[in-house]
Amino acid sequence: MVGPAATLTPLARADGSASYQCPSTGSNILGSVNAPVELPGRRDALKPEEATVEVFVKPGTAPAGVGERYVEGIIKGVLGRLILGRERGYPRRGVVVTLATVGGDSVGRGDSYLTLLPALLHTALLALLSASVPLSMTFSATVLAVSDSGEIIREPSTEQAAAAKSLHVLAFSSKGHLLLNESQGAFDFETWEKVHQRALAICHGTSAIGSDGDVAMVEDVDGQPLEGTIRETIEDQVHRDYAWKIDAV
Amino acid sequence: MTDRRRINGPPSGTRPAVFASSLKSASSISTARPRRQRQPDELRKIFLKTGLIPSASGSAYLEFEPSASLAAARSSPQSLIPPSSALKLACTVHGPKPLPRSASFSPNIVLTTHVKYAPFAARQRKGHIRDASERDLGVHLETALRGVIVAERWPKSGLDITITILEAEDDRWWGDAPDSHDAPWGMMNVLAGCITAASAAIADARIDCLDLVAGGVAAIVSDETPDGEPSTPKLMLDTDPAEHKSILSACVVAYMPSRDEITELWLKGDHSKSSLGTTDQNLSHESLIDGAVNAARGAHTVLAEAVKESAERFAGLPTGGSTV
Amino acid sequence: MASAAPSVPPSLTLPPSQFARLQPHAYLLAHLSPPASSNQPSIRANGRATSQFRVTSANTGSLTHTNGSAVVRVGDTTAVCGVRAEILPTDDIASWSVSHSSSSMNKRRKLTNPAQKPTQEEEDPEDETHIQQLNLLVPNLSLSTGCAPGFIPGAPPSALAQSLSHQILNLLHSTRLVRAEDLRIWYQPPSLGQEDLERHNESEQMDVDAERGEEVGKDKEIKAFWVLYIDIMIISLAGNPFDAAWAAVLAALRDTKLPRAWWDVDNEMVVCSDAVSESRKLSLRGLPVASSFCVFEADAAAGWRAVIIPDAEEEREIEESARKGIQRRWILADPDGYEEGLTQERVCIVVDKEEGTGKTVIVKMEKNGGWAVDGKELKALVDISAQRWGEVKHILEQC
Repeated sequence: MVGPAATLTPLARADGSASYQCPSTGSNILGSVNAPVELPGRRDALKPEEATVEVFVKPGTAPAGVGERYVEGIIKGVLGRLILGRERGYPRRGVVVTLATVGGDSVGRGDSYLTLLPALLHTALLALLSASVPLSMTFSATVLAVSDSGEIIREPSTEQAAAAKSLHVLAFSSKGHLLLNESQGAFDFETWEKVHQRALAICHGTSAIGSDGDVAMVEDVDGQPLEGTIRETIEDQVHRDYAWKIDAV
Repeated sequence: MTDRRRINGPPSGTRPAVFASSLKSASSISTARPRRQRQPDELRKIFLKTGLIPSASGSAYLEFEPSASLAAARSSPQSLIPPSSALKLACTVHGPKPLPRSASFSPNIVLTTHVKYAPFAARQRKGHIRDASERDLGVHLETALRGVIVAERWPKSGLDITITILEAEDDRWWGDAPDSHDAPWGMMNVLAGCITAASAAIADARIDCLDLVAGGVAAIVSDETPDGEPSTPKLMLDTDPAEHKSILSACVVAYMPSRDEITELWLKGDHSKSSLGTTDQNLSHESLIDGAVNAARGAHTVLAEAVKESAERFAGLPTGGSTV
Repeated sequence: MASAAPSVPPSLTLPPSQFARLQPHAYLLAHLSPPASSNQPSIRANGRATSQFRVTSANTGSLTHTNGSAVVRVGDTTAVCGVRAEILPTDDIASWSVSHSSSSMNKRRKLTNPAQKPTQEEEDPEDETHIQQLNLLVPNLSLSTGCAPGFIPGAPPSALAQSLSHQILNLLHSTRLVRAEDLRIWYQPPSLGQEDLERHNESEQMDVDAERGEEVGKDKEIKAFWVLYIDIMIISLAGNPFDAAWAAVLAALRDTKLPRAWWDVDNEMVVCSDAVSESRKLSLRGLPVASSFCVFEADAAAGWRAVIIPDAEEEREIEESARKGIQRRWILADPDGYEEGLTQERVCIVVDKEEGTGKTVIVKMEKNGGWAVDGKELKALVDISAQRWGEVKHILEQC
């Protein structure tokens, strides 16, 4: 299984940015983060002790519609609990996340965004890290489809998702909490529990947290855990950014 | 035209259903026109209740009694085409509240009225964006209310009045050709209902007013006699446009009974031709306005009752009721 | 209610209603975790138990100009839904001739799918594609009705209204509540003479090879579709708009009557019969019922410092302490506006029950905005939602 590919800070002018490609779902997302910024137009809506998180999702070919408003709400819900909006410099300011679909299938009227959602969430996370926005934890997300025969398909293509009986997006924090669950289609709770198990394995690997507090990365049938992919992307970037310092040593 | 903020239907648009019975010649269905069962000066019953929307500072819900034909159609449904309709609307008042930052200084309360039909309110599907007639209603309503509210008591404040019409009055009987009645007469009944409901909601929000203003409608109608001849014009109160072949003119007033003042008057139509030959004093403009005032007096009794209920609820609040 | 706010010191003469406004978080917390000495039960500020829903009532068919309508009140939240059916002639659909000839292909491809569920009778594989591709269901929710302060009337739909509209459309599609067959208007041409018929068949077999597989109703063609405009007006908003809106949509669709319609060859248009006796109701698939929850956290506003988040292991210890009587999180069913303002984490579960077996089927399960709800909590919430399903079913069947 080909894992996702991500690049940090491809955009020069944004405070932080990331691009993310997921080969199995065919999605390609470009995200940018500006934070902290003043939001003069929304002075009445700003919270006195916290940062305001704004998320914009732009579909690739069509103008944004009601579906985008809905996904923006979901992403805002996840990021809102992650961003430490009370850190110095953040209260009464805004964290503006813009996510654009560059490639892949566009989402039709009334269709769910579930196949794209993990890619959007990962892009947002990497862009936030690239912008050095203080976060309480990181997360990883995945989408799973349950076919008519009860088989669980990891990161289904658009056709597979359309034929599936139910579709699930789950996000786990780096500390093992279930951060987000979006399930649709008919299923029972036992199925969901299986999906939950599988998703946890995909995101975190099969082994639990090691004794030294670090997450032990274990390769299994699903390849490298997503958590590790994201970590490596960041590590690579940091390595490159601090190459002068490391070389000097 | 696609609206990006709403869910759109098929791009080619859709057509309203056409009923086979309405394609037949008009003569075969003319007997089905609903007949007015009330006396010329008898009003429809009004159901008015305040305080149904707790998140607003004041609210009212108003409903007209269904006409006899509609009530019959409801109890024993035969046809999917409703013979007439009965007004249903909800009114909310938000405020007094601070004006937005961008607004300039105002020594008086700034009144904003907003009237919107639900898409399913009328026989023809309404759009989501306010059209000219809805804006027109809003302006008429604002004039009617501006003269009632003691505006200088709240400087630098705003008051938002929003009316959602869930079911509107018909402009004409559905069997008539669309051009047989030239004017949207149903709007006048809607305005009268809006005025009465808004008045109740303002009182429910405990905004100081000079009086309870009530809306009333009267019209001069020329009905058909059973043998198809137009009868002599008559003055009727609280007309349902679906029940009449032709309305010559109509008048709606917003009236304050205790001060005997009119804050809004809207008179439409021309009955001078039909009243030329007669010496009937009942067909002057004065008598038309008097008729509307009488209708408003009738609505006022219902209004006073609803406001009394609202006041009792307010007085009883500290001892019982919910805290939130 | 005054007696239920034990945290107010007697010296402070502040009526509970003002305390609720000044210190909303502390007020709700005081209700949910009363001091052990007071012997008060843990109860929400609105007097409900944590898993208790508000009183729900429904009324259908009161709007004259609709094919189906419903008013649903969930506590102080009121949703009015009106369904209007209009006609979409297939001549108006630009891609109709193309998509129609390919539909038989679709059918074959789908039928090769090995896992056809035996429980659902006469499954129509074209159902979803027609409803979704032709936009036959058009739900729109409006909050610009003065339902709550903060929604400016006349302004375009807020992000909340847009996302609720989308959720309703998405749920209508994913539950396949409305059958496409109910929305089709067929035309059966008068049978031709025997000779003509044969010639007709021959020519058709030569022309359209793809349709060979269909043996019944060969000449029957779809002339038009019904398009259902489902408009929801939230008249009063006091929290949890989705449950009320969805219940209103469900009740209105159950009430919807479509007139008998046929293709009139002389007028070249679709004509309907206005006789009530000839009209038919929609036959809906199932009865999915939505239940929403929110999570109230004791330490949500614990100060200006960065919130230190315990990891999943520590979380379990917290659970242990919860059993000892120190509860820190409460899952509140059917939150009102006051509670929604104090919570971040939301759960929405839509369940249905299979006919016959009575087995609970989850149709949609969402949780977002926090980490208090995990697998175990979700399982409990599904059970509560299944119970709620019974209540709502009873209410909808009575109206």
